[in-house]
Amino acid sequence: MNSLQRIVATITFGDADRVPVIAQVFAHAATVAGVGVDDYVRDGETIARCQIEALKRYGYDAVFSVMDVNVETEAAGSVLDYRSNQYPIVKRHVFSDSMALETLPDPNSAGRMPEMLKALRILRRELGDEVLVVGCVLGPFTLATQLLGLEKALYLAMDEPGKLESVMDFATDVGIEFGKAQINSGAHLPVVFDPSASPAVVPSQFFREFELPRLGRLFEELSGAGAVAKWLHIAGPVGSILPYYANAGVTIANFDYCVTPPAAMTGLPGICVDGNIKSLSFVESKPAQIATQAANLLDAFRDRKGFILSSGCEIPPESPSENIAAMVNAVRAKR
Amino acid sequence: MEKSLSESATKNLVAAIVEGDSGQALKHAQELLSSGFGAEDIVVHGIESAMSRLDAKCTLEQFNLLEIMLSGRAVTEVMKVLYPGGMPTTGGRGKVVMATLEGDVHDLGKNILKIVLIANGYAVVDCGKDCPLQKFIETAAQERPDAVAISGLITPVIPQVKKVRDLLAGRGLQSMKILAGGAALKQSSPASLNVDYVAESAFDALHFLQSLGETK
Repeated sequence: MNSLQRIVATITFGDADRVPVIAQVFAHAATVAGVGVDDYVRDGETIARCQIEALKRYGYDAVFSVMDVNVETEAAGSVLDYRSNQYPIVKRHVFSDSMALETLPDPNSAGRMPEMLKALRILRRELGDEVLVVGCVLGPFTLATQLLGLEKALYLAMDEPGKLESVMDFATDVGIEFGKAQINSGAHLPVVFDPSASPAVVPSQFFREFELPRLGRLFEELSGAGAVAKWLHIAGPVGSILPYYANAGVTIANFDYCVTPPAAMTGLPGICVDGNIKSLSFVESKPAQIATQAANLLDAFRDRKGFILSSGCEIPPESPSENIAAMVNAVRAKR
Repeated sequence: MEKSLSESATKNLVAAIVEGDSGQALKHAQELLSSGFGAEDIVVHGIESAMSRLDAKCTLEQFNLLEIMLSGRAVTEVMKVLYPGGMPTTGGRGKVVMATLEGDVHDLGKNILKIVLIANGYAVVDCGKDCPLQKFIETAAQERPDAVAISGLITPVIPQVKKVRDLLAGRGLQSMKILAGGAALKQSSPASLNVDYVAESAFDALHFLQSLGETK
């Protein structure tokens, strides 16, 4: 069984030869290759090369074309600040003063979108259907916060909800276009990153009323374009919104360290989950501690199936390699 | 049980702040001023009371940024009416120097803590976001606060956080309390970060600072 077959079997709660392991390695791939994070996130060839090198080093089941959370907003006109060996930050949000919702950014020409598509083309060409090739789009509310600025987006939710909904509709359309282009370029699926939709940021009622219908539309379009699964990634204390995921058609759900395995299983019956080793553990812990946490998770999900061993969120770029190797080795030890 | 005049008079203001309704909060604050209540009374019996209600409401499971920001905006608007010449800089409960450190531009969490502390009678010196470590230490040395507070959303700032205690000690401030919080830092521990306390939320940070006051 290869990695892609293993993951597809796991998503459908079928029999797999072992539990899949997906390390959320993004710019860590640059760090271990000796490439600056700022160079990595701007060059598709570099992303593909570093991801393939990291895959060879660790032997996990998926690679990512993830750059950072500012790709779409930059493509729409936001201005970023690129600093040495760091993820870029937004200097000016494109909708901070006025909103132009008529024209969607073209994935083939806007900002760094073409570089991400290039990374996906290379990854798929090199890896074929052996390993899951994962692209990335932002969820509607998260992209709205990146277009407007978080503070403005939150105040709009209270003061002018109709205006916020217009921006979220625009953001959904951006995600659909960019996601389809990623699938056409070779991604087996784009993961939908939606950190701002976490109940740590907005109440669960907001998620249900504002975000969920748009996530449903986004996933439906991506699925129609050929995505092999509908993978939603929201970090933080998501316990209260898990029961809504099924309504958006989610088939893989990330869960973070603050959600227990029993809570994830109860909140997401019939949905494959991935998680949940604390991100900072990969920086602060020893390999033996990571191995123990991984083994505990494997035990917790032993009888359920539908589980992918992973971190709760991104593995920090500065993490020691030994800790990532410890997590990957855990699935082989439990075979 | 007989209600105190203050509690009764500030009921609507407290409710408006807890609901995050700036317009109503402003209206009720202006009414209280017109009725002859002083700004300090309104802060103590209105804003602090609202903050206590919010504190009780914001358990770890129920806390969310939207609600706390809306309440924070209401408090800020009310404070502008109460202190048209600018907020008082010398809080009676203590002083805190705060920042997000260089490389971290996420300052909403820090700003919320600032509002919560000011509303509870603390003086706050805000070094802003993306603050160089030396500037932060220099400010602490000048201001001599009861504590310094660092908010961090991203893990690469952790090496800077770990240096704060030694840098303060180098300025003769070894007893100054160090408080950390934010999505990245709260995954860690006081021992790992070399700080005195890691707060789960703005109110958790407030409780820690209040506990310092009790042991003074």
